[in-house]
This record gives sequence, C-alpha cells and structure tokens, in this order.
Amino acid sequence: MIKKFIGKRVVRNEDPRLLTGQAQFVDDVEIPGLLHAAFLRSDYAHARLLSVDVSAARRRPGVVAVFTAEDMGDDWQPGPPLVSPPPTAKDVIFHSRRQVPLVKDKVHHAGEAIAVVIAESRYIAEDAVEDILVELEPLEAVVDLEKALEANSVLVHDDLESNLAAQLFQKKGDYETARKEADLVIKRRIVIERGAAAAMENRGIVAHWDAKSQHLTIWDTTQAPIPIRNGTAARLGLSEHQVRVIAPFIGGGFGPKIMMFYAEEMVIPWAAKKLNRPVKWIEDRRENFYATTQERGQVHDVEIALSRDGHILGLKDNFLHDTGAYDPYGLTIPLNTQSHDMGGYDIKNYSSEFKVVFTNKTIVTPVRGAGRPQGIFVIERMLDIAARELGMDPIEIRKRNLIPPDAFPYEHKIIDQAFAPLILDSGNYKAVVEKALEMIGYDKFVKEEQPRLRKEGKYVGIAIAPFIETTGVGPYEGARVTVEASGKINVATGIGTQGQGHFTSFAQIVAEQLGVEVNDVRIVTGDTTEFHWGTGTFASRGAVVAGNAVHAASRIVRQKVLKLASKVLEAPEGELELEDGRVRVADIPQRSISLGELALLANPLRGAVEPGTEPGLESTAYFGPQYGATAFGTHAMILEVDPETMMIKIRRYVTVEDCGTVLNPLILEGQIHGGVSMGLGNAYYEKLHFDETGQLLNASFADYLVVSATEMPRIEVGHLETRSTLNELGAKGVGEAGAIPVPALFAQAIENAFHDRKLEILEMPLSPNRLFELLNEEKSR
Amino acid sequence: MKIEGEYTFDGTREDVWKLVRDPEVLATCLPGTQSLRLVGENEYEGEIKVRIGPIAGSFSGRLLVANEAPPVSCTLTVAGTGKVGFLKGSGDIVLSEQVERKTLMRYTGDAQIGGKVASVGQRLFDTVSKGMVKQGLDKLNEILKARSA
Repeated sequence: MIKKFIGKRVVRNEDPRLLTGQAQFVDDVEIPGLLHAAFLRSDYAHARLLSVDVSAARRRPGVVAVFTAEDMGDDWQPGPPLVSPPPTAKDVIFHSRRQVPLVKDKVHHAGEAIAVVIAESRYIAEDAVEDILVELEPLEAVVDLEKALEANSVLVHDDLESNLAAQLFQKKGDYETARKEADLVIKRRIVIERGAAAAMENRGIVAHWDAKSQHLTIWDTTQAPIPIRNGTAARLGLSEHQVRVIAPFIGGGFGPKIMMFYAEEMVIPWAAKKLNRPVKWIEDRRENFYATTQERGQVHDVEIALSRDGHILGLKDNFLHDTGAYDPYGLTIPLNTQSHDMGGYDIKNYSSEFKVVFTNKTIVTPVRGAGRPQGIFVIERMLDIAARELGMDPIEIRKRNLIPPDAFPYEHKIIDQAFAPLILDSGNYKAVVEKALEMIGYDKFVKEEQPRLRKEGKYVGIAIAPFIETTGVGPYEGARVTVEASGKINVATGIGTQGQGHFTSFAQIVAEQLGVEVNDVRIVTGDTTEFHWGTGTFASRGAVVAGNAVHAASRIVRQKVLKLASKVLEAPEGELELEDGRVRVADIPQRSISLGELALLANPLRGAVEPGTEPGLESTAYFGPQYGATAFGTHAMILEVDPETMMIKIRRYVTVEDCGTVLNPLILEGQIHGGVSMGLGNAYYEKLHFDETGQLLNASFADYLVVSATEMPRIEVGHLETRSTLNELGAKGVGEAGAIPVPALFAQAIENAFHDRKLEILEMPLSPNRLFELLNEEKSR
Repeated sequence: MKIEGEYTFDGTREDVWKLVRDPEVLATCLPGTQSLRLVGENEYEGEIKVRIGPIAGSFSGRLLVANEAPPVSCTLTVAGTGKVGFLKGSGDIVLSEQVERKTLMRYTGDAQIGGKVASVGQRLFDTVSKGMVKQGLDKLNEILKARSA
C-alpha cells in the first residue's frame, strides 16, 4: 500500500498555537485566590540541620503559611522508587535512598529544600524565605568519585557502610582468555563530567484542591503525568479518580522531567490541600541548576584487546557512576552505558563492573542520552587509539567490526536497563556508515582537500562516529481513537509531550488508517482525565510505543467503520475505501457516506442495538513491545580549530540515521538538530563545575555555556530505513540519537586536526581552555 | 581559592602590628565593614557588606586571631554567613622589617564561598577579593602614614 501520510514532511499541527503564544504552559495557569511558593534551599552541600526558625517569616504580611519537614508530620515521606530494583542476584548490590520533600535532619546536596513559604505573591514569598533563620552545621562534602569510595571517606548517608550505592558485574564470553590471545591490548582511563539538561522552560507546578468536589487538579511540567497522578493520590490518600494531572505544553523535557516526585511535586499538592487554596511554584534558573537532576559523571578504566588485523577480541570496562545525593532512578544509566559499550560492533568477549557512588551533589537521573553517550565515547575512543597503534585507517577498523546485516536479531548477551536480554532487533549498519562517508565526501576530503588546507596552515580534522541507540522500551502505552459526529477524529493518549510533535506524527498515523486530513485529527496528550493508563515520555519511546498504540486503535476503528459502512452502502467491505473523510464504494464513488454520518449511526438515540456491540466508532488499544527496538546512526564532521584561541568552526556536519520507518522526516530532523546541539554542549561547552565542598560554581547562563545559534552548524541529515521487527509501524526511536555520538565524534575530529601532535583526548566535556592545556601538556611531554 | 600577596607599608613593624591588631582601624580599612566588636580575647564579631558581580549582601560572622607572635606574625580566621551564602577563610600574615622604616607584609590564605555568591559570583570572586585586599591595605597604609606624620 502506498502511504499517503506516514513518511510525509507534514508541517506541525501544533506550531500555529505555539508560535503565536496561544499554547498553555504551567505558568499560564491562573486561578482566583492563587498563592505562590518559594523554597528555602541549603547553601551547603553537606550539613546537619540543627534548627529552623520560621517565626519571623510567618509574621511577614502576605505570608499564608511556612512549612518545614516537622510541619508535614506523617505526610513527610521520601519519594517512591522510579524503576524496579535490580533482581536480587549474587554480585548485585543496590541501596535505595530517595529524595525527601523537605530536609529533616541532614542536607545531602546544595540546593536541597529545607522549608517552603506560601504567600500572596512570589515577591513576598521570596522575601519571607530570607526571614527564616536556619542553623546548619557544615560537614565535609563527598564530591570526588574515587575518594568517595575510600575507607575513611565521610558518608553521604550515615546509615550505610560506605558511599557505594550499587554495584553490578556483567560479562559476555571470556575476556581474560581473549586478552591472552590478543596482539594488542590498550588500557586507558576516561573521565566524563556532569552537564545540565538546561531546558528552555524550568519546572513548575500548580495544585488546586477543590474541597466541594473533593477533586485535586495539578498542572505539572512532568514527562509522566499518569505516574504523578497515581503517586499523588497514594501520598494524599485519595482515589486516582479524584486527582487529575495535566502536563500542558512544556518547553523541553530532556529527561529530568521524568524524574518523579521532586521535592516540589510532593510539597505543593500537599500544601494546596492543607491550605484549601491553589498554590503555584515556578522554578527559577538558579534553582534549576541545583534542584533539577543532571547527568553524565563517570570514570572508566577501559581495556580493549585486538588482533593485528584490527578485530576486537574483547573489551573490559570497569567504571564509577555518580548518582548524586540519592538514587531514585536505580541502575538505568549505568546499565545503558554497558548496553552501549560495545556499540554496533560484534564483540565476543566483554567484562564490565560498575559501581554507583553517592556524592553530595544534585541527584542524577537520565538526561537525553542517559548513559549512552558515555558508552559510545568509550568504545569509539578506544577504536581511534587502536587504529593509530595498528597503523590502520579509522574507518576500516570500524567497518571490520560492525555487526553484519545477516546477524540480526543480534544478542549482546548482557542485560539492558530493564534487566532483560539486550537484543539488537534489526539493522544494516555498514550501509549507514557508507552513506555518511559518501555524504561528507570522506575520500576526497582526506586525499585532496585536507592536505591542501593543511599546507595553508589550517588545523582541519574529519571524524566519523557510528552508534547504536536502544529505544522504544516497554512496558506499554495506550490510545483511544474516536470518530466524532463532526467527522473529525479525537485521539487521547497517556504520555506527555514536550515538543516532540506528537500532535502531528500521531495524527499522520490516524489519517493513514481513516482517510482523513492530518489537521482533522485532534490529539490529546498529558491529561489523565482523557486517558487513564500509561507510563510516560522517555527513552525515545513516544513515537514507537504510543505511536503503535495509536496505530492499533486506528486499525480497529477502521474495521468498525468498514463494517458499518458495508451495511449502509450495501457493499462488501473489501470493495470499500476510506478517502477524504468518506467511505466510498471503490467502483461507484458516488455511493459514499461521511465518517461523521457513520459516527451518528453508530450511536443512535432511539431504537435497538445488536446485543454484544459497542456504541460509537471508537477503540482503545495498547501496545507493549517484547523488548526495545535499537536504532543505528553515524555522524560525520569536518572541524577547523583556531590554534591560537582554540575556538572551533564546524565546516560540515552530516548525520545518517536509521530509525526504522520514518513517520515524519521534518520532525525527525528537528529531533536530530536538537540532539546534536546538546551533544555539542556535552563536547565543548557545557560542564558543571563543582568545587571540593560541593558548591556549584557556574549556576547561571553567564558561566554555564549552552550551545546557541552561533555555535550550531548547518546539519545535513540522511536517512536509511530498516524496519523494526518489533512493531507494526516498523518504527524505532530517535529522540536521544542526535546527542549520543557527538563527544566521540568531536574528540576524533580534534585529534585529526592536530594530527602532527600526540594528542589523546580521554575526557569530556572539553572547552577551548582545556584543549589549550592538553596541547601544552603534550608539548611538555 | 588561594589569596596570596605582599604589601610594603611606610612605617615600622611595631606600628603596623599595632594597627592590624586594632579593631577600630580594621573596621575602617576593610571595605564594606559595617561593624567590628571585640567579644573575647582575640575574637571579634562583625558585619560586612560585599558585592560580587550581580550578588550583593551582608555577612555577619567572627574574626579570630591566633598563633600570635607580636610583632611578626599571626593567623586570621573568618567565618560569616548571610542571605546570599557563606564565606570562610583563614590566612597567615608575616611582617618583616625593611630598610628606611618600611615593613613588608606577606599574606597567604585560603578562602571559600558558598551559596548564591559562589554559584553566580564565582567567576568574579578572585578579582573582587584581590581588589578588596588591595583597597584595605592601601587604607591601612594611609592611616599609618597619617599617624607617623
């Protein structure tokens, strides 16, 4: 069947509203009697809370209430674990320590909330925060990952024996034997540091308890409205049907907004109910740097064993992972790192142990990429070093090791983030790499252009980085598709949306089945009243999991439409077609009926219906994949470095992505562009600097450099489509893809630009300063 | 953060020492000092106003003088907190006599800041603190010169 809507470059349905300021965000919510909250946060990263005196704050005119942990009584409970704990197996250690609504006895990271002021305005609330007298006894802070595990280290959590939060070992084959047989073994230490997600919109929450209807409505910048609804109901002793969570338009999620039950999400609804007044809290940018989760800090000790001809015989990667003050997200990130350590390469022997470490820093949960960029950085760095040592072409060493197309489904024989076997379902990896090489003109550049530019004294480097991305994981999502009497289609799904274009891509899926225009399909996301079941938008799964649920529901509705139309039009179903919002008899197009008329007929006001039938043209369906689909891509870049200032100019940037069936190339390219911009930040600009006392030293956009339009290259995007075998649409996710290979690509390009120097980049993020230092270190060696 | 430097005073070591150990003089010399009171042997309490980049606020805290070896050296320790964060520091000063009734002060210390001042003002802290030290010592030298004139 030729697709009419899927795969088309349809402009986004939601954009007119967004671009003209007509879209609702959390801070747009205004309710009569609305109060405003401000939090008192700890200046210290690690301190014992001796006393809090809120009496002066309570006396300030306009202040309605001030709450501390004490005031919450039995309602003071830590947040729930977000993911299931790992299976209790030998060699697995996991200590669950979760964030709390307000600090009770000890501060675990700078910026942790100690008290909340609720007042008639945010101004008054902020002033009253300054009225609070808090007595803190500063403690030595745990900051460095290795020192944190030393026997004499102070403890982040006093009830644990050490700062070890978790430990897990995985192996495939037998690395030690592979090592013995190897012609070359390379060992390196790789350090990756923290960055922020830095979404354009910070977090925010409005809670409104209506005592008369006994109903709580919450507007929340969450990526997971349904779990927030369920958890809030449980925390407050309400039925799930008494709580409605709305995640309206959100200015970027990028992972931290899937973290559930941030302190503010626990405190604000509780306070609104207690005070019987609506309460709003909007995070400011400085709070965001402390109170919103971050990621990427890891230290790797890596070893790769190779044969003389460049085949990887084995990989060993023992690493430390910084989880910050708590570990609500379990082992997701370090497991993702292990899942990406071997990239898209056929590696028979693998050994990896990770240790998750508590530190007195902001909590770590997934940020776009979620452990994947670290794994890809590790393997790609080791391959670059290996190619140099073996005197091989960096492209050739990669091609030699890529998983061949006939090896799918390919079992990596380790477990993934869901504790299920890591299986790469489908792919054509070499073709993607070839396409990237062709698009960037690799051979011509290396043979002709680069030597010429180098002769002119220019420092230009080229790089190619392939990567995998595990996407579209379960458990499930659902959707309800309804044909309305107007002939328009209404679709409700449980996931939230933060800019992914769901209003368009889901509408395309529906339009394909029901033969209507894309803008005749109204999509609702992120409102728990509209759809009761679901988990959320994360792990590049929206289009795959919710998309396939929308597809399944649309197909059932199509069948219902055909069945009813066949009766009305007195023609067999096989002779009917759905086009332009009507069902027609294919050979006699004048015999037709509109979807709207059919919807009315399916929901009669009088008369009898056949027993066993359901009213309306509606269906609810769910989709849960057997396991996650794995996408593949390759980025290529030509970079020029100014040897004086170390500022860079990206001359060409090419991405080739194989994420299975492309639903909408326009939206896909947008995802890639956004991902690359985050990846560039992770590579050369965005680093959170903590000092030895756990103080964040660059908590503003003046010091923390987010990639802006001037740093962004023009990106050329290519596609290949290898359908996933795990779902009917054949889709794989792409939400995080853009960010994943960029640090690896960047390191390769810089080394290539300084090909005459013995520069080895083993850390991320870099910066112009840091590159200057590395080159000086190399000179003095 | 390390604070280190030297300053040459136009006066004898004894005169410089007397000034350094006089809270009233110190209060007028340290830029932004609102008050400085002796509360115990070698212990002062006071308040200081500081502006670092976009952050301005006052800190109240204590100043302790230890390891005193008049008129040569001592250790100063400060700890203050305020609405915009906290600061902590300790430093050694050593005075040595120079020719022509001049005195050289060497100071080495460590300072730490936290909270809002650290997160937003860190980049400027180095410059601001150096400026404050220089300004303070210049003022001290002026008083010294006025007294000995």
